[in-house]
Amino acid sequence: MEYLQLGRISLIISFLLIIIGFWGILSQKNIIKIIVSFTILDTGINVLIVSLGYLKGRTAPIIDASVSQGPNHNVLNAIVDPVPQALVLTAIVIGFGVTALLLAYAMKLFKAKRTLEINQFNDLKW
Amino acid sequence: MVSPIYIVAAALGVGFAIGVLGKLGKNFSGILALLTIGFMTFVSSEWLYAFYVGNQVPTYIFTAGFKPPISINLLMGPKEAFLTTMVNFIGLLGGIYLFFNFGRKGRNAYVVYMVFLMSLNVVIMTRDIFNLFVFLEISAIATAGLILIERGNRAVGAGFKYIIATSIISSILLIGIIFAYFYTGTLNIDGLVQAHLSTTATGGIAVFLIMIAAVLEMKPFPANGWGLDVYEGSHQGFSAVVSVATATASYYVLYKLLAIAGPVGSQWDYYLALMGAVTFIGSNLLGVKQKFARRLLAYSSIGQLGLLMLILGLRKYLGDNLDYVVLGILITNLFAKTGFFWLAGIVKAKTLKEWAIIRRKPFFLFLMGTFVFALIGFPPFPSFFAKWTMVMNLARQGGFGWIAVILIGSFLEAIYLFRWFGYAVKGEDTYKYDFNIRWHKITPIVILVAALYYAGYLTSQYTELGRMIDFIPLFFVLVLFAIDFLPVAVKNTIAILGMGTYFYFIYPDLDNLRLIFEVIFMVGGILTLIAGYAYKGKRSGFYPVAILMYAGLTGIIQAHTTLEFFFGWELMTAGSYFLIIRGKRSMPHALSYMLFSVAGAYAILAGFGIANIGQAFPSLDIMNNIQYFPNWAYGLLLIGFLTKTASVGLHIWLPGAHGEAESDVSPMVSAILLKAGVFGIVLALIGMSKSDFDLSALAYTLGWIGALTALFGNIGAVFQEDAKRLLAYSSIGQLGYIVFAFAIMTQLGWLTGFTYVINHFLYKAVLFLTVGAIVLRVGTHNMYEMGGLIKKMPWAFFAVLIGIIALSGVPPLSGFTGKWLFYNAIIEKGWYFQGVIAMFAGGIAFLYLYRLIQTIFLGQLKDNHRNVKEISIWFLIPIYTLLTGILVFSYEPQWVLKPLGNMIAQYFPNNGLHWEGSYAYSHLGYWTGAGVAATVSVVFVIAFILLKIMTRKAHKLEQFDIVFSGERPERPETTHIAYNMYAGFYKAVWPLTVPLVERFWTWMSDLVHETAGFVRRIYSGNGQAYMLHIILYIIILYFITIGGNI
Amino acid sequence: MVRNFLIGLVLASIGFIFFNLYNTYEPKTELNGIAAHYAAKGAEEIGAANIVTAIVVTYRGFDTMGEVTILFLTASIIGFFLKLSKKDEAKKIIHHGTSELLITSAQILVPIIFLFGVYVFMNGHLTPGGGFQGGAIIASGVALLIMANPNRQINHHAILWIESISGVSFVILGLLGIFLAGGFLDNRFLSLGTFGDLFSAGAIPLIYSFIGLKVGAEISNILNKYQKSQKES
Repeated sequence: MEYLQLGRISLIISFLLIIIGFWGILSQKNIIKIIVSFTILDTGINVLIVSLGYLKGRTAPIIDASVSQGPNHNVLNAIVDPVPQALVLTAIVIGFGVTALLLAYAMKLFKAKRTLEINQFNDLKW
Repeated sequence: MVSPIYIVAAALGVGFAIGVLGKLGKNFSGILALLTIGFMTFVSSEWLYAFYVGNQVPTYIFTAGFKPPISINLLMGPKEAFLTTMVNFIGLLGGIYLFFNFGRKGRNAYVVYMVFLMSLNVVIMTRDIFNLFVFLEISAIATAGLILIERGNRAVGAGFKYIIATSIISSILLIGIIFAYFYTGTLNIDGLVQAHLSTTATGGIAVFLIMIAAVLEMKPFPANGWGLDVYEGSHQGFSAVVSVATATASYYVLYKLLAIAGPVGSQWDYYLALMGAVTFIGSNLLGVKQKFARRLLAYSSIGQLGLLMLILGLRKYLGDNLDYVVLGILITNLFAKTGFFWLAGIVKAKTLKEWAIIRRKPFFLFLMGTFVFALIGFPPFPSFFAKWTMVMNLARQGGFGWIAVILIGSFLEAIYLFRWFGYAVKGEDTYKYDFNIRWHKITPIVILVAALYYAGYLTSQYTELGRMIDFIPLFFVLVLFAIDFLPVAVKNTIAILGMGTYFYFIYPDLDNLRLIFEVIFMVGGILTLIAGYAYKGKRSGFYPVAILMYAGLTGIIQAHTTLEFFFGWELMTAGSYFLIIRGKRSMPHALSYMLFSVAGAYAILAGFGIANIGQAFPSLDIMNNIQYFPNWAYGLLLIGFLTKTASVGLHIWLPGAHGEAESDVSPMVSAILLKAGVFGIVLALIGMSKSDFDLSALAYTLGWIGALTALFGNIGAVFQEDAKRLLAYSSIGQLGYIVFAFAIMTQLGWLTGFTYVINHFLYKAVLFLTVGAIVLRVGTHNMYEMGGLIKKMPWAFFAVLIGIIALSGVPPLSGFTGKWLFYNAIIEKGWYFQGVIAMFAGGIAFLYLYRLIQTIFLGQLKDNHRNVKEISIWFLIPIYTLLTGILVFSYEPQWVLKPLGNMIAQYFPNNGLHWEGSYAYSHLGYWTGAGVAATVSVVFVIAFILLKIMTRKAHKLEQFDIVFSGERPERPETTHIAYNMYAGFYKAVWPLTVPLVERFWTWMSDLVHETAGFVRRIYSGNGQAYMLHIILYIIILYFITIGGNI
Repeated sequence: MVRNFLIGLVLASIGFIFFNLYNTYEPKTELNGIAAHYAAKGAEEIGAANIVTAIVVTYRGFDTMGEVTILFLTASIIGFFLKLSKKDEAKKIIHHGTSELLITSAQILVPIIFLFGVYVFMNGHLTPGGGFQGGAIIASGVALLIMANPNRQINHHAILWIESISGVSFVILGLLGIFLAGGFLDNRFLSLGTFGDLFSAGAIPLIYSFIGLKVGAEISNILNKYQKSQKES
């Protein structure tokens, strides 16, 4: 089945994850659940990044035995795109930082009003 | 030259090191951080200087020793150097301002702040899109942290909303970036530009996602509730930095990424302009309804972001001037908005009304005033020149709709800023708490204000037109500010000497037309200033603003270019606003004056813009040679000038503004200032007379406006109880005559117009000065509270008598000259119907003039006025000087009218009137000033003697001749003849006195407020709703931009 | 419910955008652009067997510095955000005991976890992994310690020193790149060594080690702050 190769499957999965993330962000009232939805969204994007770097039938971008090292070796034809893998690392770290900060905020918010309902925090408006 | 990479290295190196070094103490960490920021500022400003001097070429900084796109590179060009310098400079001042606020949170706060500034530097310089994403995230996280230096739950709530909103935006950006990489194989911005992504359907979505994220960083209306909350909720010291430094960086991100979306003039330009316009107008509209200072600043900040977005979207129109315009707007916003936020942090007043406390320290009021006027785009601030350049370019390229958007948005901003400023200057100060002065908080603000003025001067010198502007009067104003601590007599003398000297040097260069007006402005100004000697004490703040008005007035006279004219016009508006608001109950009137003036100025600006189309050089002569849309150009110019002459429909500001002003200010703003509008009308009409187009409909309309203004002004004057308001309404009517006369567009018409101009200047100055001086003595404006003052103030009585004779247009005085010419002109032109209206209005004038002299001077003296003295000698001197003028003009009108006739002959065939000695001949007859005056005087004297003889047995009426039939009236004034004097007449004309115009403007104002009140409910305060807004915004824009075109 | 309907509409619209993206998606068959350059020249230029590491540490080292900064910022912000008062600081966390399993496994596993973390970041240029991964592994050891004993005192000073020194070293190594090689964060001021050796690929092992230490310290710091914030109630 040409349509069900790995690249496409992971692309669909990543889109689904992102949509689930958005759904949680928009519909959940509990701040912790919203933060979890954010991590789902982040995960979806990370999967998206990696799947866009995928090339069919190739190996990880590490030049070792699995990449043939003969005189005519051609790394170009052996490995998947290394750039998205580098980018996803950055994206993960950023996601970690943001999540950590959001959780700290959630603690403070809870301490302020003893609730985690997001619609309780609308002191600033209009 | 220090490589900009050291900005990053220094910030991070010191930041990491403070972890250990911080053991040496909190203040040590703080000072180390400030030094580092100082170093960053030094590096960027060193580059800026090199670019400014001109021997520096833009330089790429490569990391990792590889060329892009292999590795990340930074660019340091002139724009980058400027923007990073601004960010670092504001950051440095902000660091000083917030030094102890950070300190309370511990040394980490300094580090976070330093890294925050560094990240903005990289955001500006980087040429790699993913690197841009990373450093945007750094700045977002640092912002989320720094919001917390404000104590309390509001800041926590705001920070949470901020971080979830930016997370969504950066998710979108990241998806866009990864797809852009997928399609092009590069992350370098220059590489992406060359890839022409948006030309393919597949790349189009990637470009959309990247662009929409960049747009959302600019907090577009209405998906910007989170941004408002951040500005409002965080510490004002930090809000300032977010509002300007982050905004500057966000603007540049948009600028860089726009190149990916397409070349100049691509579809995205249009979308940007559209989103910017919605934001600019939307934010400022909602600001109108806002009562809280912090949130108002937030709305204003976002409005400015919208304006920047709009300007960027209009780059096709602006061409090479894009950078100049952006620089002007940006630098004003940087300095003024930062300063304003920091001021708000010091004053700490919550609502706008509470800002009345600021005037306890007048210097703070000066600071606030500077910021308000800079933000609205008054001269000499950079935004003024930017706005001018923008409108000129837009008009040239046909972007009329965009001009309207920019001017409407700016006008909305003017509404709330001037209302706020009005509260500060004149609002009731009944608040117990005070605010403290801390030097580390004030010094940064003062530096900003100085920088603002200097930047304005630099901006003006940047263009050829700007260099032509005469800054000497403005400099004189600054000198007067500096010597404001001196007593009133010294300052008055300096002001008079200054004006006299200036007039002496400039008058030889003026043509006759300009000379008439310059004499009215300058000589009139000096005469009214003489009255100022009557005041005691310091009269703090009066002289700078009075001279500011005169500087503007002489500026419009001396102007050679439209820019100079507009510069003078705005100075004059600013100065007169301050003069007017000095009155005791002037706050609402000053606001309405300012709003009409700003709107009028924008009409003039737009008019100049249209007039400028197809012209090589914007000299003032282009008004004589408007080539495109002449009806629009002249129409807009005339509307602008008519706001100043208070013509019917645009007049509602005048009665209050003139009536409530101080005694010597009323003549300044009435007798003198109104002539600025007339001067403008004259210039416009000269242009119309020379135009190849048929503009008679416009002149005809103008004539009707003038006639109706005369009628309604005079009717309004009749029913006033307040003497100064009576005179104010009378000014409206008289200005109506003037406008009508000029609109006739014949030699006679214009002669009439000039005669009325001179007359109105003379007698209105006399009347306002006299009545003002009387008000100073008796302490009331109400005529029914006066009476019988003839015995106490004979000199004043005589002055008013001469004044009203001249005004009413009966012989022997100069008013008759005007009337005679007027009817000749009307009959010659054939405008009979309007003529009848004007004549009817003239009859009405008798009613209020009689009322004025009768109720003030005749009848019974009031008990509490037994001890009043003659009005001050310092008022009598200018009054009698002006009276001499009236008499000379009455007896020898040919001295002035002959040269005037010759001057008018340049524009209209010299066939209306010719002179033989002191005899003037028209088609209808002849007339001589001296002869009429002599005849009437003789008749008057004979009648006077006869009446004296016939009534010598008449009983002199004493106070006790009045009885109330045993009743004790609840409202004693109702039994006074002066009260509701023309009740009978009212029954006849009341339909004409229904304040339809006032009702219309009230309705308009309510409409704006109600709309704002309704729309702002979308900002429910719920973070989740804000996220929904963001996503909806993305989706709607997706369907607009891409839709089904895949 | 209008709101639910609106959310449904929004999600459907996002789905529509993604559907368009999916429809235009054409799987790559060749490396193009910078990826091709990295694949072809990366090993030669940088000397790292792991191309991803070559990109992360050198080609896009500036991004990496940004990542480290993000962690650092987060830790700093949480540091003053969740700062305890002196009184709270002295309190003990009240808990219902932790499982024996957890306590024992912590004693046995933590040293191994730390060792594994060090292995991962030191071999980042040769095998999958690197500074971030290694740092995270180390921090997971710290997390295990805390979970085993919620009142465990983490040595705050040690964390601070490690964090600070490794951070400054990272910046200095970056600057050495300017002075001794081609630019900021250039790894080639040390010899590239023999391809595939532990001490090869120039400064990459050094840089990645500092990153690993810093990330480990940073995350541990955050965990420590979260741990302590439970004292406040």
